[in-house]
Amino acid sequence: MSGIDVTAEQPVTVTGRHRYTDADRVNGLAYSDPDVFELELHRIFTDGWVFVGHDSEIPDVGDFVTRRLGHDPVIMLRDRDRSVLVLANRCSHRGVTLTQAPNGNARSFQCIFHGWTYGLDGSLKGVPQPGGMEMSKSDCSLDRPGQVTSYRGFVFANQSGTAGTLDDHLGTGGRELLDWVCDLSPIGELDISAGWLGQDVASNWKMWAESDLDGYHLGTLHNSLWSVVPDTQYGPAVLAGESIVKATTRNRGGGHVELEFWRGYDRQLAWLGVPRERVADYCEALTERHGRERAEELLWMGPPHALIFPNLFLGEMNLAIIDPIAPDRTVHHHTPLLLAGVDPSFNLRVLRQSEAAMGPAGFLLPDDAAAAERMQVAFGQSGGWMDMSRGRSRERIDERGHVVSHVSDEVPGRGFWGHWAQVMAP
Amino acid sequence: MNTATGFDAGRSDLHTATLEEVSQFLYREARYADDSAYQEWLALWDDTDIVYWVPSGKADYDPDTRISYINDNRNRLQTRIRQLQTGQRYAQTPASPMRRVISNIELLHDGGGGAEGHGAHEIVTASNFVLYEHSIQASDQLRLWVGRSTHRLRRRPNGELCIGAKTVELVNATRALPTLAFLL
Repeated sequence: MSGIDVTAEQPVTVTGRHRYTDADRVNGLAYSDPDVFELELHRIFTDGWVFVGHDSEIPDVGDFVTRRLGHDPVIMLRDRDRSVLVLANRCSHRGVTLTQAPNGNARSFQCIFHGWTYGLDGSLKGVPQPGGMEMSKSDCSLDRPGQVTSYRGFVFANQSGTAGTLDDHLGTGGRELLDWVCDLSPIGELDISAGWLGQDVASNWKMWAESDLDGYHLGTLHNSLWSVVPDTQYGPAVLAGESIVKATTRNRGGGHVELEFWRGYDRQLAWLGVPRERVADYCEALTERHGRERAEELLWMGPPHALIFPNLFLGEMNLAIIDPIAPDRTVHHHTPLLLAGVDPSFNLRVLRQSEAAMGPAGFLLPDDAAAAERMQVAFGQSGGWMDMSRGRSRERIDERGHVVSHVSDEVPGRGFWGHWAQVMAP
Repeated sequence: MNTATGFDAGRSDLHTATLEEVSQFLYREARYADDSAYQEWLALWDDTDIVYWVPSGKADYDPDTRISYINDNRNRLQTRIRQLQTGQRYAQTPASPMRRVISNIELLHDGGGGAEGHGAHEIVTASNFVLYEHSIQASDQLRLWVGRSTHRLRRRPNGELCIGAKTVELVNATRALPTLAFLL
């Protein structure tokens, strides 16, 4: 499994087929080859940091949500001491999942098979007929990922425990994005409480890392929306014409990539779609927290549009998780980015916008799914090369060392794949 | 008596609907949806104060605090239809061939008095459906959609039935769903 050479000049791999990517292009087999997918589950989703959830999803003791680390089911929960834990959703006896619920509140978890019962901290509390038990109870706690760390309430885990620190994984570029998200709240906190919707797509997971961060397709693939809803923030930011728009792309390093729509907005609060008077309290509270200069900046910029490698999409006023199911199957989960410390009407607006844009019935994502599924069909059995060179000759490195370019340029794609190639290299 | 339509808006007994009338209305709506006859389908809805709701589970929660697959008022439903009509809604271009079977139709309130929590003369009906959708746009799968619809129907001034609210509870609504860009 370790022999896939993604950097070789000639197309040679353990599978005897092609190399998968170079600087500006990707082979279709990278999306369809089961060996690549299996290696990704190990290198990226087991040996690396992945986003699990946000701690505001589980405010009370015993609150839990179920998620997957790669293909391993886990429970993220609020323990009695109010700490956030991530536990294997797998009885340590014979491996039955402890819960199938997407979320809930529990005092303990009891396995349906032989009745083993675990406390919220994952310790084995009791077993029926203990006389025959050979193991010591203390050796039968639920497994935990090797590392779990949170940053600003964003909980990340690393199954193998060999990924280094979360700080190193996020880097300054990633941490800034999460700080930025939280800064939008007048109390610096999120309220991820509206639940998640899943979109089940017949495509590889990486199409979502790409299309979520593709600034080139908005005026084409999504034209059906702009033709009936012309007045959105994306008009001036992206759709106005190649030489006019000011929005940009940015590679923050580490596979964390960004579309800076905000540079092309034509007014403050364009991202929320309301005039300032409508959210006067919010503007005031933001000024109180951050000072006038930063508050005014945030009111212009709104939320980031970025990918935290590999599976967290900061989709403006949405969070999304990219969940790889099979080489040709992915679930794209999303939830509205609700803020703590704002008027309920603010969050209601965010919720309604989220329903409009995202999910299987939204005005945007179904068309992205159509493109992704048609890519998956096109790659077939022998792959074929996909071009990702757009903007290569006009991109530049800014004062922070980030590659930046026009919003339509494939800087995020190259940033994602460049990091992918490093992680997947033999 | 309105001689043009034979319908007297002032007489409550004339507001009541029979199972036969409601069934025919639901079958017609289903046919328009199956045929992606967007304009005809939209024309079945009341002009104001409507809700087209596909909850993310059973319809037992507050849609203002929890996310739904669809929660359209009249304005958003019109936008949905207009987007489909552009011919560039690629998730439904071409439109999915599909057929649904509607069954177990019950007339929960015949409109003879105020339905609980709603205006007088609203007619409430619930039915089950099984829908086969051929996703020919890309993945070429025959997809199965199963659920229960609850309609709140109203009378137009001319006596015709129209939809005031429609709630569709999919049996698998708590899990990830494939593209749902057609009309349920």
